[in-house]
Amino acid sequence: MTTWTKTLALAMLGLVVIASCQAAAPGGGNKPAQLTIAAVQGNEDAALKAVAPLYEQKTGIKIQVVEFPYDQLYEKLVTTFKANAATYDLVMMDDPWMPKFGTDESLQPLDSSYGFKRDSDIPDVVYDVGTWPPPRGAVPPAAKGKPQHLIGITIVGNVEMFMYRSDMGPAPKTWDEVKANADKNKKSNFYGYVIRGKATNPIVADFLPILWSFGGDVFDQNWNVTIDNAASLRAVKFLVQDLKAAAPTGSESIDAADRDRLMATGQAYQTTVWPGEITDVIENAQVSQVKGKVSYIPMPAGPSGKGIGMMGNWLLGIPKASPNGQAAADFITWLTSSETQKTYVDKGGIPARKSILNDATLNQKNPYFAALAKSLDAVPNWRPRTDQWNAVETILGTNLNAALAGTVTPEAAVTKAADQIKTQMKNAGY
Amino acid sequence: MLVPVLGTIFLIVTYPFVLAIIQSLQATNGGAFVGLQNYVIGLENPLLYEALAATGIYAALVMPTEILLGLGLALLVHRTVKSPALRAVFFAMAIVPLVIPPIAVGVIARLIYAPGYGALNHILMLTGVIHDEINWLGQPITAMPAVASVDVWQWTPFVYLVLFSGFLTVPHEEIEAAQVDGASGWSQFWHIELIYLRPLLVLIIFFRLADVLRVFDHVFILTGGGPGNTTQLLSLYLYRVEFKFSDTGQAAALAVVVLVAVSVLYSLVTRVLPLERR
Repeated sequence: MTTWTKTLALAMLGLVVIASCQAAAPGGGNKPAQLTIAAVQGNEDAALKAVAPLYEQKTGIKIQVVEFPYDQLYEKLVTTFKANAATYDLVMMDDPWMPKFGTDESLQPLDSSYGFKRDSDIPDVVYDVGTWPPPRGAVPPAAKGKPQHLIGITIVGNVEMFMYRSDMGPAPKTWDEVKANADKNKKSNFYGYVIRGKATNPIVADFLPILWSFGGDVFDQNWNVTIDNAASLRAVKFLVQDLKAAAPTGSESIDAADRDRLMATGQAYQTTVWPGEITDVIENAQVSQVKGKVSYIPMPAGPSGKGIGMMGNWLLGIPKASPNGQAAADFITWLTSSETQKTYVDKGGIPARKSILNDATLNQKNPYFAALAKSLDAVPNWRPRTDQWNAVETILGTNLNAALAGTVTPEAAVTKAADQIKTQMKNAGY
Repeated sequence: MLVPVLGTIFLIVTYPFVLAIIQSLQATNGGAFVGLQNYVIGLENPLLYEALAATGIYAALVMPTEILLGLGLALLVHRTVKSPALRAVFFAMAIVPLVIPPIAVGVIARLIYAPGYGALNHILMLTGVIHDEINWLGQPITAMPAVASVDVWQWTPFVYLVLFSGFLTVPHEEIEAAQVDGASGWSQFWHIELIYLRPLLVLIIFFRLADVLRVFDHVFILTGGGPGNTTQLLSLYLYRVEFKFSDTGQAAALAVVVLVAVSVLYSLVTRVLPLERR
């Protein structure tokens, strides 16, 4: 071996050693030039993108937001976590995904690793939804006894609410009043109620608040399936029979964009709504004919006496493989601070801070803030905290959609859904 | 010399297939060897057969329609349009649907079929054809044809382009000889031109069959597989097994089964419609 070859070999070995040390550095204390965030494309990440340049101005760290449509983001995260790839320093996650990522231990604990503590200005439920194992309700068998950690921080404080044409009638207090208002206001080319009934996720998201308000549920506290009990069946019938009678033809294929269009063009009286739909469409003067004519309230009460909203928070978490953990944690702290949240809200962001939601000036600009604050105070439900939720939602959403289309009876739909969910859960070790 | 070629084929084709077989024999959680258990679970699930039936109906709707329409268009343009400039215009128009991303096609189709504001119902009502909205996407009997129509719109131009190029390869001498012998237009097509088009028809069936098995975007946007499971095609079902049910083992097993079944189907197609002219 010549001297030149030996020198080259030693230099390469040195490079390999240096590179190995870099990759092995735990927590990544060094200041990176850039943080890469995997985000969902749409109104949920619009404010994040808008404020990101401010962080670069402040710290010199560039924030690269890589966007994916909803389903693709989930697929991307699942495959990235499975490969333990250090592709992203931060990831945006819908709250029903947390059990899957919590069970798979795909994320770094924010409390024990980076010192995150609860802030009294943010409702406990918002922290609870980012904690794994869940601090209340049914806990999956595999997660029982494991220490709880905060693995995600909410950056979009979504809670599903209710909207109605306040220029045409009073706010409904109960689902019975919703039905009565739907029947009263229904006329040619004007629908009394809009059902978001497209198969799988959409119809389940629309139905769960009704189910809970009627005293039903998908599971009890021990993961026994209860979607076929009397209260749950009553809720299904209310959706697919009572509300459908005042809903547009083709509710079976209506998704959020369709219901927004129907409301915004003045063709519908009332429906459920997510905050993002309000800012994007209903209160957007460029596309809405009903701006100022619609009011927002927490979910009406059902026979159970309660109106229960549903959480749909979007959280930021740090993947286990991220080499820039500390810098990523610093970004989360900055983004969720009171000061940044004011700018964030100004750019269309949906906050979870009480001080922001109850700010009188901000309430004038964002007419849904009061309803969102009340919904959070009332402690909304989250979707069952199981890593099997995607499967359960697909089963339930397919059968509900069939019942809504009238191809099966509500009784047959809940029986079939219950049987399939039981099999799914049993196979998963529940 | 063959090493780079074989290496590329191994990386692109063989390696993923072997990986799929290995995954199909492993438990989803933990990766323990489970033999044929994933195959048994996958093949016992009635939803698989519902998805296969839906895919069969979809294929039966789109493939003959696209082939007949594409063939008819190609024949019409070949026989009636002689101007090269006009032919170039038809060529450019046919390219357009093929280059639009399927997701965009789905969004456009949604504006046509959507309940409440869909353009099709609006036009039909304006012209007095119907008085009440048709629930295109919410009834099993109309949902599948509605979903299939999107495929027909996007892929008929592909059939047209391939077959039109086929018509151009037919020797003039044979056509002229047939005309001298008094053969009708239909006889010329049936006895001469169709013989030359046969290998291309096999090619089209190959491509379209592969595409039908991959159809996803516009179905997902239009119906999400509904109503119920009516439009849950095989690709959508496999996607749900992998990403919604998180059952990697079963998804891999089903992928292997589909691959083997398609290989058998392709060999049958080549036997029925041989690639060489006879």
